[in-house]
Amino acid sequence: MNDMIIRTENAAKSYTTGTVTTHALRGVTLGIPPGSFTCIVGPSGHGKSTLMHLIGGLDRPSEGSVFLDGCEISTLDNSNMAKLRAQKIGFVFQFFNLLQSLTAAENVEIAMMLAGIPEKEQASRALKLLALVGLAEKADAKPSQLSGGQQQRVAIARALANDPAILLMDEPTGNLDSAAEGEILAILRSLHAVGKTIVIVTHNDEIAKTAENIIRVMDGRVLP
Amino acid sequence: MTLAKLVVKNITRRRGRFVFTLLGITIGIASFVTFLSLGGNLKNEIHRESAALGANLIVTPKGSCAYEQVSILTGEQLPTTITMDEVAKICAIKGLTAVPFLTEKTAISNKPVAVNGILPAEMKAFKGWEMDKGAYFSAHNEPGAVVGAVAARQFKLQPGSFITVRGEQLPVKGVLKESGGRDDITIFLSLPVAQRLFKAVDRVSYVAIKVDDLTLIDSYILKIKEAVSLAMMAATYERKREIGILQALGAKQGTIFTIFMLESGFYGLIGGVSGVLGGLFCSVVAAPYISQNAFTSFVKGSGTGSMLDPGIIVGSIAFSTAVAILAGLYPAWRAARLSPVEAISYE
Repeated sequence: MNDMIIRTENAAKSYTTGTVTTHALRGVTLGIPPGSFTCIVGPSGHGKSTLMHLIGGLDRPSEGSVFLDGCEISTLDNSNMAKLRAQKIGFVFQFFNLLQSLTAAENVEIAMMLAGIPEKEQASRALKLLALVGLAEKADAKPSQLSGGQQQRVAIARALANDPAILLMDEPTGNLDSAAEGEILAILRSLHAVGKTIVIVTHNDEIAKTAENIIRVMDGRVLP
Repeated sequence: MTLAKLVVKNITRRRGRFVFTLLGITIGIASFVTFLSLGGNLKNEIHRESAALGANLIVTPKGSCAYEQVSILTGEQLPTTITMDEVAKICAIKGLTAVPFLTEKTAISNKPVAVNGILPAEMKAFKGWEMDKGAYFSAHNEPGAVVGAVAARQFKLQPGSFITVRGEQLPVKGVLKESGGRDDITIFLSLPVAQRLFKAVDRVSYVAIKVDDLTLIDSYILKIKEAVSLAMMAATYERKREIGILQALGAKQGTIFTIFMLESGFYGLIGGVSGVLGGLFCSVVAAPYISQNAFTSFVKGSGTGSMLDPGIIVGSIAFSTAVAILAGLYPAWRAARLSPVEAISYE
């Protein structure tokens, strides 16, 4: 279990609103091996996204522990948690989440800026990453000038900006047509082939079928 | 990409809000500068005239407005409702020197000229007047006039000339040394003579009093601060998602805070610069179109007060930036404290 790149031990998350406590996760123990292609599947509202937030260092468990690359992240302070997100994890969200004021290249550069990469290195690296997702010629386009599929490819390039070991994706094709979905999956497979750990939260059975590991979440628990 | 570039791009992308926020700040600062420029002149004039008057405090008739207070300095006529009894009561208060004035107007060669009725001995001590030519009043009710240096030149008056006030011929006794103030263009009569001629027996227009300093009004500052704070607050709440993205990408709380502070400061700086330009434009260009009267000519100054005061320009820009930064502190702090999950889940 210790050779897992992502590991949780009895991780639980509950939210209290007024007098009502919601248990989003009820003690999840799991391990994701390095370099694997893993899908987290399950019905909406059963804790998939909460689990992704915990293993991505966006949130802390109410109970239990989360380990990333052997390091317990649930006890890190905000600043170190941010540093960890910048260096070890690349996020891709369903709604692309590009900054509308920036060009495709600048959206990729911003992730490098936050990781402290000097400005002069940013541009050439951003171009390489955009080329990797097949968008070199769209480097200067604003998100509003790109199709959904293209925007998601920019988001993937941005997630790769700091060469993280792990790519965490929340419904990355949930907003795309099947052609664009195919393109995204092809990119993910090639990234997996070069050793990236890919974790995808999805409803999509087609994606889940291609995964090496499937983690099924139901009622805040991982099904055996 | 750098933080500064990100901030500039963020601000300029939302053109509508950029323009309106900037317009808000610009109008605020422009009004501030306009008033400060005009008010700076006003203040200078008041200080200069007050100094020439030798007074720090002026008692005007009950119910008189600011215009009438300014009128004192411009030599405009005032309702004469302060009685000599009241003057006596004021004079009885310890720790001040009070000098009553009756301000009226007359015409010499069809040109208006201010006439002040004064208590000769008290006035001379109060002002430290010196004579340029001729003699000063020798009695408290002497029928005669002492004239200011500029009025003397303008109307070619000298000791021995005669002026006609309200149909009565009065000899010019002497000419005062030029002071640079309102006195230079005023004709002084003894108070009893003036009261008789202008049918204001036992009454005066105002009482000048020597006490402590005048104070200033700072109410504009708060108004601008409110406007800027609201604009920046709105900007922050609309942008939860953007904050969430930056946090997911690894932005620390300090970075988010810095981005928002830079943005506020940038708005304040640009707003300050355009506000100063707008304000100076208003105060310089609009001034000639304001109808000429005693008040506006007074406000525009007598040539010594400059509207393009570098202090006002630098001060206003610094003020606008500082207020924007102050106003941005709380929204920036709120932005930095947003939890990544809350921000990223924001639709």
